[in-house]
Amino acid sequence: MSSAADASAPARRGIGRALLADPMGLAGLVLVTIFLLMALLAPWIAPYDPIALDVKAKFQPPSAAHWAGTDHLGRDLLSRIIWGARLALGIAITSVGIAGAIGLVLGLIAGYGPRWLDSILVLVFDSMSSLPMIFFALAVITVLGPGTTTLIIVIVLVSFPAYARLIRTQTLALSGADYILAEKAMGAGTGRIIFRHLLPNVVGPLVILICMDIPVVIMLEAGLSYLNLGVKPPSPSWGNILSEGYNALRQAPHVVIVAGIPLVLATLGFTFLGEGLRDVLDPRGAGRRWG
Amino acid sequence: MTGVLELRNLSVALPLGGFFSRARLPILLDVDLSVARGESVALVGESGSGKTTLARAVMGLQHVTGGTVAFDGQVVEGAAGLARLRRDAAMMFQDATASLSPRLTVGYLVTEPFRIHGQPLPDPEGTARDLLAKVGLPPAIARRYPHELSGGQARRVGVARALALRPRLVIADEPTAGLDVSVQAEVLNLMSDLRAEMGLAYLIITHNLALVRHVADRVVVLYLGRIVEEGPTAQVFAAPAHPYTASLIAAEPRPDPRQRRTDLAIRGEVPSILRRPSGCEFHTRCPVARDICRHTAPALAPLGAGRQARCHFADQQQNQQGVKHAVEHR
Amino acid sequence: MSVLSVEDLSVSYRIPGGRLRAVRDVSLSVGRGEVLGIMGESGCGKSTLAAAMIGLLPAGASVDGGVIRLNGADMLRLPVDEQRRLRGQSVAMVFQDPMTAFNPVLTIGRQLADFIGAHDAARHNRADIAAMLEKVGIPDPARCLGRYPHELSGGMRQRVAIAAALLMQPDVLIADEPTTALDVTMEAQIIHLLRDLRTSFDGAIVIVTHHLGVIAELCDRVAVMYAGEVVEEAAVDALFHDPRHPYTRALLSCDPAVVQPGIGHLPTIGGRIPDLSALPPGCAFAARCAMTDATCASPVPRHRAAGRSVLCHRSKA
Repeated sequence: MSSAADASAPARRGIGRALLADPMGLAGLVLVTIFLLMALLAPWIAPYDPIALDVKAKFQPPSAAHWAGTDHLGRDLLSRIIWGARLALGIAITSVGIAGAIGLVLGLIAGYGPRWLDSILVLVFDSMSSLPMIFFALAVITVLGPGTTTLIIVIVLVSFPAYARLIRTQTLALSGADYILAEKAMGAGTGRIIFRHLLPNVVGPLVILICMDIPVVIMLEAGLSYLNLGVKPPSPSWGNILSEGYNALRQAPHVVIVAGIPLVLATLGFTFLGEGLRDVLDPRGAGRRWG
Repeated sequence: MTGVLELRNLSVALPLGGFFSRARLPILLDVDLSVARGESVALVGESGSGKTTLARAVMGLQHVTGGTVAFDGQVVEGAAGLARLRRDAAMMFQDATASLSPRLTVGYLVTEPFRIHGQPLPDPEGTARDLLAKVGLPPAIARRYPHELSGGQARRVGVARALALRPRLVIADEPTAGLDVSVQAEVLNLMSDLRAEMGLAYLIITHNLALVRHVADRVVVLYLGRIVEEGPTAQVFAAPAHPYTASLIAAEPRPDPRQRRTDLAIRGEVPSILRRPSGCEFHTRCPVARDICRHTAPALAPLGAGRQARCHFADQQQNQQGVKHAVEHR
Repeated sequence: MSVLSVEDLSVSYRIPGGRLRAVRDVSLSVGRGEVLGIMGESGCGKSTLAAAMIGLLPAGASVDGGVIRLNGADMLRLPVDEQRRLRGQSVAMVFQDPMTAFNPVLTIGRQLADFIGAHDAARHNRADIAAMLEKVGIPDPARCLGRYPHELSGGMRQRVAIAAALLMQPDVLIADEPTTALDVTMEAQIIHLLRDLRTSFDGAIVIVTHHLGVIAELCDRVAVMYAGEVVEEAAVDALFHDPRHPYTRALLSCDPAVVQPGIGHLPTIGGRIPDLSALPPGCAFAARCAMTDATCASPVPRHRAAGRSVLCHRSKA
């Protein structure tokens, strides 16, 4: 079967290449890279200060000076969108990253630890995720007041139970696997089994889920900011830009359109990347068999 | 005599349903078994006989409800005892590919025992190369992942890893399962070479009798978690003392169309361990069962020359040359 | 007359950067009351061949050429619906793991009734089904009908699978590794059952396996496959007692079940099967063969004699 093994081997080192070969994954990767660069390089690539007012130049349509036009206070929209990318991705990646880390640890503990601990943790996960997300978010914001930190806390609290449950299920399924038994039989300790043998095999699906969740978080941030419950103005959040543009929809429709485009593209980008990763990472590929 | 491995009255029972219930389902019952230094012992039985449970119990992967496991003359107790056992005894799993952690390279996997037991590993690549060479694999294999290996290669990697710390005992669960005949022969040759070279003792768990004939000095037959026969391989195969052993030998398909069997050696199935038969537990399938077998359980009785059997009529079975008689004169 | 036959059948799989030629120019046929064994090691193409015969090739596999005849009908030239109908009527399959062939949430009785339902419900009833279960050696068939697949042992499930296959009254029964997942004692019982069936069931049986013992116990004729080709075909006695192809000889001599114990090393076949996507010219076994000479690199002739064919430069039929 050596030839068969060679033929069906999307080994780990090939993930990047395999992703590039998949049109959807490639599109996702390109979009995500563009947004990441925008976020990282905002201070250098934004043509104007995103919060500098120039009321005389308000509601200008796209022009050579302002590629995306200006808003009701004459602020350059392109600059606001570039800085908005920094804000949107910053919040999304931070919050989902923290939630992912918490979910990973709790999921591994629940899946590999003693049964009584598992029961307690599962109860926590289930009760957390049974709360309706929007009401829960509104409640936390009411208590802590709106702002970036609150937003991150809300997102972490809302999303970690799903991650933890995913990791727990994976861990439970794997903890009876032959290779885990084999490691025990060789005398491997709990730490080695969890970190070297379980963790690498359970993070794949988590990475995919996180990737697919980032657009949800970007939308949530935009939505809450639109409702003035998220990032406080004048910070250039995409939600804020939309919200402000909506007030002047008849006067200057370009504001809403220009603010909507990055939102759509970022959502598509991360979703495509997640889908692409799922196809590529799916454990050990779909090796063909013949006999 | 102290062997490498000594099991005394080893029993395993699983809790039987119900959170408050104390009922237990016996899987292994009072198994006494020893493996001498450099000896190769085969443990034979159908699925449900408890042979895999026994292997796992020895390695501490299965909670033992009674009896003791002694390794190298010392009863295995506590974390330190278990760690020592797991260093000096190694286990090969039935599904070789599945027993290799999928995201690690073969090179890492075969040297992992050194890392686990904190043994010096100055040159991991060189050590991996040597271990792979010992089982006849090229050094390039070290960079592969388990799913890139063929069945035979994965089996060899399993052997290489088992040998890493120069163990005194290797427990091999169905070492030829799922392999093609030509590859089976290669793996068996490898196992006997390594035994001669390193003075290994083997406990081989299998239902493949051809394998037993080739590699085992002694054979132990399990039925429903009890030893029913034990003895030197050649003698047991020549004249099985227990009708179950005789039936197993007779059931083996022969690769010769001129020796087709005309009648079945054994009928029916292994009874469920939930409903163990009364008396001799084999009487429901035994071709020579009599009244006494239905109500009185025979004891495992010595027959001389290192043999013992759990049958009321062991002496007669042996004299009758078991198989043919029992089968053809039904 | 042959019930099922293939002529010059070739099947390949699409793989990155080429085609993997799993079955190459295979011609075989099996008649009523006959048991044909297809024997070979993993990767030899035997399962692909069986899948092609019943029209169940996996995605990515395609028939490159050749003819499959079922009761005289040229299957590959018929529309897909018609192929399916003919196969449904006359071919039944038994797999290695019978568990996968059953729906876990339905009782055995319900599933067997469904199997027949697809064919003709009117002629069968519960009693017929029970009678069939009895025929395949199931004790207390009436109770078995009310059970779920997981409540049966592996051997019992395989019996039920065989009963299900027979209820369709097929002309051909194809069994792919029917005993590989079973214990020796169950294996012996299933071999016995299949052998009994051959006399009572008026159809052809095809057994696909790597197990030489099963072939010897059960088959009338054997085709040995290597690297996608049938390298030797002969009556079972001739094959085991007078093998002609060097591969057949090597395979028979290295089976641990044949070799006498105590000889030290078991014989082996050195080397590996060739890469099926980049086959060498000439004989595919040449690299591992003890008899190789210069002619082996040229296209291999097939020698035919009474009831036998051998694909080799150096051995005659």
